[in-house]
Amino acid sequence: MAGVYVSYPFCDQKCTYCNFASGVPSAGLESEYINAVTAEIAAHRWQWSPETVYFGGGTPSRASIRQLNRLLDAIPGRPWKEATIEVAPGTVTPGNAQAWKGAGITRASLGVQSFVSRELVRTGRKHTSETVARDVEQLREAGIDHINIDLIAGLPFQNEASWRESLHWVGRLEVGHVSVYMLEVDAGSRLGLEILKGGARYGARDIPDDDCIASFYQEAVEYLHRIGLRRYEISNFARPGFESCHNLKYWRLEPYIGFGADAHSFDGKTRRRNVESAGEYVDRFRRGMDPCASETPAELAEERFFVGLRLEEGIRPAAPELVRFADPIRRFLEDGLLVMEGGLLRLTNRGVLLSNEVFQEFLT
Amino acid sequence: MDSAFIRNFSIIAHIDHGKSTLADRLLEATGALSQREMMEQVLDSMDLERERGITIKAHAVRLNYRASDGETYQLNLIDTPGHVDFSYEVSRSLQACEGALLVVDASQGVEAQTLANAYLALHHDLEIIPVINKIDLPAADPERIRAQIEQVVGLDASDAILVSAKQGVGVQDVLEAVVHLVPPPKGSPESPLRALVFDSWFDPYRGVITLLRVVDGTLRTGQKIRLWSNGKSFEVEGLGYQSPKAIPAEQLSAGEVGYMFANIKTVSDAQIGDTVTDDAKPAAQPLPGFEQIKPMVFAGLYPVESHEHGVLREALEKLRLNDSAFSFEPESSAALGFGFRCGFLGLLHLEIVQERLEREFQIDLITTAPGVRYRVVLRDGDVMEVDSPTKFPDPAKIDKIEEPIIEATVITREEFLGEILKLLDEKRGVQKKFEHIGSDRVLLAYEIPLNEVVLDFYDRLKSASRGYASLDYHLAGYRESPMVKLDVLVAGEPVDALSIIVHKDFAHERGKALIERLRKLIPRQMFEVALQAAIGNKVVARENIPAIRKNVIAKCYGGDITRKRKLLEKQKEGKRRMKRVGRVEIPQEAFLAVLRVGGNQT
Repeated sequence: MAGVYVSYPFCDQKCTYCNFASGVPSAGLESEYINAVTAEIAAHRWQWSPETVYFGGGTPSRASIRQLNRLLDAIPGRPWKEATIEVAPGTVTPGNAQAWKGAGITRASLGVQSFVSRELVRTGRKHTSETVARDVEQLREAGIDHINIDLIAGLPFQNEASWRESLHWVGRLEVGHVSVYMLEVDAGSRLGLEILKGGARYGARDIPDDDCIASFYQEAVEYLHRIGLRRYEISNFARPGFESCHNLKYWRLEPYIGFGADAHSFDGKTRRRNVESAGEYVDRFRRGMDPCASETPAELAEERFFVGLRLEEGIRPAAPELVRFADPIRRFLEDGLLVMEGGLLRLTNRGVLLSNEVFQEFLT
Repeated sequence: MDSAFIRNFSIIAHIDHGKSTLADRLLEATGALSQREMMEQVLDSMDLERERGITIKAHAVRLNYRASDGETYQLNLIDTPGHVDFSYEVSRSLQACEGALLVVDASQGVEAQTLANAYLALHHDLEIIPVINKIDLPAADPERIRAQIEQVVGLDASDAILVSAKQGVGVQDVLEAVVHLVPPPKGSPESPLRALVFDSWFDPYRGVITLLRVVDGTLRTGQKIRLWSNGKSFEVEGLGYQSPKAIPAEQLSAGEVGYMFANIKTVSDAQIGDTVTDDAKPAAQPLPGFEQIKPMVFAGLYPVESHEHGVLREALEKLRLNDSAFSFEPESSAALGFGFRCGFLGLLHLEIVQERLEREFQIDLITTAPGVRYRVVLRDGDVMEVDSPTKFPDPAKIDKIEEPIIEATVITREEFLGEILKLLDEKRGVQKKFEHIGSDRVLLAYEIPLNEVVLDFYDRLKSASRGYASLDYHLAGYRESPMVKLDVLVAGEPVDALSIIVHKDFAHERGKALIERLRKLIPRQMFEVALQAAIGNKVVARENIPAIRKNVIAKCYGGDITRKRKLLEKQKEGKRRMKRVGRVEIPQEAFLAVLRVGGNQT
């Protein structure tokens, strides 16, 4: 069974740490974009009925209910087993939440990143911990009780105490799912670029170092485990039964189809990516062109390792794989980065933090 | 041509004093090139020469000049290399001349190379004509410079020609002075042939092309000639001269300068300084001064990709066709695999070869720290020449070690003297001369171990003087020194490519600096890595690189697996460009760290 991803690459403001192709839309672009995506979905010939839907962004929660309905109505298979909407804290109202529920949404993912004002202010975020608490309450009242909270380890001004404060808020709100990301430093975000240039804007000189981030992550793993949220993927933690069915498809190499700008699809053989910017996506739609920007054959033999090993459940290598990768497997077992139990291969705790070192060896 | 109407001359100068610009003007003024045809600095033709503003190869251009006496003269302008690495080639070019224009910048005055070149010219009994150039500059002070030339160089500069090569001022005076002051060549066209090779290069169509000055006799096409040093004979296939385009000629006779090709396959068969004579009727004596050029600076060159070893060998062989001054022999390193130990005339020469390999042959190289050739006397009386730390013998067997010493001339402003004296002292220099030039400048002569110079001397001198110091040097023999081999151990394993030979008294400090630098250059690995510097079994410095704690992509990308793969591939590629020693990945820059550990630089 497969998943559907719909991309909504618009926000009210661009956060300093964000390296997605999303941003504040120019006048008119947004409605044209919705038309284009609706058309792309409508034109799709479904080989299967989708099991999960993920409305991601950007800030999909800022889309109007009309726009949301147009998009979701085009997707077959309602009621879906799971339908997630990404939500910016502060965009939930009782009306919104109920309308989402009515449109088939079962799960909300809140882009909280931090509960500490000092950290939030520097990233361009406007919410407070109270905002998040209210959002969670309203979502629950509307019947959306699968709730995820995103946290970022590595924000400027973050320290051991402030990180613990964010973790404790997660515990207090009793959400069933948490994603712990680590700040990515690359030229794609304003903060990342500033760090690379050695500048001081956006608090670039006040980010915790790699060793601190590793400790934050370790602390998150332990704390979340204590409150019943176990790690099921490198950056995802859930109470049993609250895992993201949609995201699991990525890691289990199951098919999914993406619509909209910068959306990705995988049909079991080929990986496709739509053009990155919303402007170009709309432009292609106007000219009647395919929005697909690139198409590459999947290399499942390798992906099984560098994608599949992200999961706590691990993978079960077949005999030829054990032969092909005998060398790195042996080395990482010896080093304690991998462990093999009952034919299942998975990362150890230390292996998770050094997973890139492991995964590289499974690329040929 | 009647040799009474031939003048052979060179232009010698300190770098940037305007040698090439003046040469261009002379070409223009004699109609060798119209202004429209004129590319800037025609004589510096190799790309690298243009970029660095240094003449690397010699050239010889024939100019026809109708002088004020109504006669037409054949002026042969022999350009000389402009760097201390190539001083042997300069001396051969000068030997082909009867006169030299000594160009001095009208504001900067006499610099170290001015002096070295002037002495070289005097040594060859050349008529030296002082030329004060750049008189158009606001800071120009020709009278002060005139006095300086007299005082420092010891030449009569009362008739020095005032020139602005840039604006074309005084160019005619220069040409007249060449005609009237430079003596015509002696030599007779009827004597047995003797011609001096002062440059040679490899041409893919013609084989080796040599530039020659015919001293005695006449060289003809079809003639069977012999190279004196190796006794090999060839048939002359073509002769001519550069004007500056190549103009074929049937013969070159005594006093004339031109080119020859004779199906010679490699430049090492027609070495600079060698004598060409007639194979059937050889001259009784060769021309004086021929030497086998010996490399002075040595470094290991290794391909980054070990499978490119064969490609590197071919490239080195091809380069050697064109440059007999560098040497190479296979060398292997436990850390770097198979490579070559290469010998060069100096650091610039090393850089040129390195750049040509990377540019013309697209080979990624790791160059190990340059060093010199030591003379090691063993207890059993044997003498070894050691040009690589890996060949350094067991210290228990060593009686004494001698290292090459240079005599360096530094000219600088008084205000930088303190820093420079400190640097020379730190570089184990011994003062030979301390002399004031004019009101605010000082000339220093020092004996310094060449080893100290190849480490980082130029850069340090430049920063100590903010660019206001000039340097020239020549080899001045060997001196006994207590040298030791300093090894670097990474995670307990010695990395041979990081070993250096240093003076005993500096070993501790250098070891410490080197280890500190390596700690910053070697990325953290999955386990803690110990770095040690040791002399024999004695560890003199130690640092630890802590283990890396995280390298993970912790982010969800709506199924963007391709991006994850790219990130991983990029990391993997980065590692592939490193060298693996034991289990430690060492980046290429680490192998050059040794270069930057002299003194208190960070």
